[in-house]
Amino acid sequence: MARVLENVGKELLRENGVPTPDFLVASNSEEARSAAEKIGCPVVIKALVTAGKRGKAGAVKFAEDPDEAAKIAEEILGMTVRNFPVDRLLVEKRLDISQELYVSITYDSSEMAPIIIASSAGGIDIEEIAQAQPEKILKYHVNMLKGFDLYEAKEIWSDLGVRGSALQKATTILWRLYKLFVKYDGTIVEINPLAVTASGEVVAAAILMGVDDDALYRQPYLSDQVEAGSDRAWRPLTALEKEMIEVDKAEAYRGTARYTEMEGGNIGFFCGGGGGSLLSYDALLRFGGKPANYTEFGGNPPEAKVRGLVKGVLSKPGVKGFYMNLNITNNTQTDIVAKGIIGAFQELGIDPRKFPAVLRLAGVHDAEARKLCTEAGLEYHGDDITMEDAARIIVDKMKNAYPEEAD
Amino acid sequence: MAILVDKDSKIAIQGITGREASMVTKHALAYGTKIMAGVTPGKEGQSVEGVPVYDTLKRACQGFEINTSVVYVPPAFAYDAVMEAIGNEIPLIIIITERIPQQDAIKFLSTARRANCTVVGPNSVGVITPEDKVKLGAIGGDNPERCFVPGNVGVISRSGGMTAECAWMVKRAGFGVSTCVSIGGDTFIGSPPREVLGMFEEDPKTKAVVMWGEPGTKYEEDVAEFIKKKGFTKPLIAYIGGRFVEEMPEGTVFGHAASMIEGGKGKPSNKMAALREARCYIAEKFNDIIPILQKVMTK
Repeated sequence: MARVLENVGKELLRENGVPTPDFLVASNSEEARSAAEKIGCPVVIKALVTAGKRGKAGAVKFAEDPDEAAKIAEEILGMTVRNFPVDRLLVEKRLDISQELYVSITYDSSEMAPIIIASSAGGIDIEEIAQAQPEKILKYHVNMLKGFDLYEAKEIWSDLGVRGSALQKATTILWRLYKLFVKYDGTIVEINPLAVTASGEVVAAAILMGVDDDALYRQPYLSDQVEAGSDRAWRPLTALEKEMIEVDKAEAYRGTARYTEMEGGNIGFFCGGGGGSLLSYDALLRFGGKPANYTEFGGNPPEAKVRGLVKGVLSKPGVKGFYMNLNITNNTQTDIVAKGIIGAFQELGIDPRKFPAVLRLAGVHDAEARKLCTEAGLEYHGDDITMEDAARIIVDKMKNAYPEEAD
Repeated sequence: MAILVDKDSKIAIQGITGREASMVTKHALAYGTKIMAGVTPGKEGQSVEGVPVYDTLKRACQGFEINTSVVYVPPAFAYDAVMEAIGNEIPLIIIITERIPQQDAIKFLSTARRANCTVVGPNSVGVITPEDKVKLGAIGGDNPERCFVPGNVGVISRSGGMTAECAWMVKRAGFGVSTCVSIGGDTFIGSPPREVLGMFEEDPKTKAVVMWGEPGTKYEEDVAEFIKKKGFTKPLIAYIGGRFVEEMPEGTVFGHAASMIEGGKGKPSNKMAALREARCYIAEKFNDIIPILQKVMTK
């Protein structure tokens, strides 16, 4: 999933006929002041970050006049919301709200269908609504093959007790939200609150939106606006993580890889397969190893990609060992992987004979991989040992090489 | 006997002229698998490793009684390829393609369910029945015997790579496999573990099953429920990978797209507890699969 920032989400809403408050983006307090003047006070000032629950983090505040807007902007711009530093703000018209509704659309994996969750008690977290007022929540599965009709949206709000012109307006909005969810390959669209104003308008006051990474190829507008895989880290991507994305993209159709930096650690982790990497990491922790990062790769990557990835893995400060563990490959050529690893060691000037390293690399062309690694001085194992055995070997090596770092 | 694929499989490959698909065709033919036809629009009249290529699956079906189709087309064309297979009433469709948009997957999986077509995948590395020398997809590569030897243990895996590794552990324990199914690492797949266990239950050849599970989804919890209701009565040996993910901030994804813990759901510890309660054998360490199998299979 790729997260969509609120200003982009709100532009999409407006383009697709869903009203939002007037808003502007500001990068400093002066811009916030002039935004407040243009929009007209009172205004709401929100941190423009992809992290959720900004209100709870104190990153959503009200301003009565442009001076206050500038002052609050100053405060929020210095904040970090759930590890995301705030460098921009959304300044928007504060609504005079008479009722707060809630609606989200996402996929329910157990029912294999889109699910709409709606509530007549919006404004707070849906988890809190579910606890405090479960009777005010309605869940509705959409038959994707049939599509979602206007009357279904009407029934949802009507069953929640919405009446009069608010019912009409909320119905059209929900119907358009579903269309938007499908059109942009959404994975989640959450409007909280969907505000009914004192003057009877129904307005999407906040949007949280995520889109399917794998569909970005057919979303030219969004692919420029979002960072693929941005939900996969609990903080913004590090410089090395961004570099590794470029290494992976350089040859997009051969081999896939993902690199995540861990805190501390001393073992460079380069392991294969979605499942194989999970096993490799679990085993490393079980034996007392300290991984510095997490790289999973697969799908027969070319030598240059492996070399680039391994260089990244080894270049993280504090990395003093190398652990490569791969399930027996179905189609990944192990000799190519071995060449890439050996090349990375050479380019970085690391002598494999003096640097704790273990490879467990069995599968296609592994006789050649064994030969290459042995000649280069890298400890190689094929299917003579299990994946867990390989984890134990690197942990023992690290303990012997750096006894002062062992717990 | 086996499940899904056997000596009666009449196989077509959609997207056969692609780089990977032609390599896989070569390996499968060398193993002894019979592949009847391939489909790539605009390339009718060509052949791949001696397998005739047709423009449409319909034309391939006119010449052969195709009952199994393997989808190898790029993600942008996968939706249509699967719909084409369903439209031609192919009872078993195995989807190898990775990174298919979720929306497309939901649509073709819902359509397949209504049409009573069995779908394995998307994002499957394949299915193999060693006794009949049938393998579909890259599973086993150019040397299937390394991991996959005939026997009485079924394998179900959410990870393609770990399908081979699980079968290799079975071989190391001194046994072989009936059928191994890589079900795919996506959130939306045609044959979740529960469904495949139902097939293994009916298969007299299969005496026990090894299952590789991961964080995220309810698949393992569903399996536990299924076993409690006597849907599967043979020994099940399960390993759940990715236990460290529980210690990471929620929502972080490692491994496959589906392996995400959300709202406290999908934790490996809960999955293991549910399976244990259903009296499955839990391999605490992956290496434990070997002694557990030896105990179970000699009972």
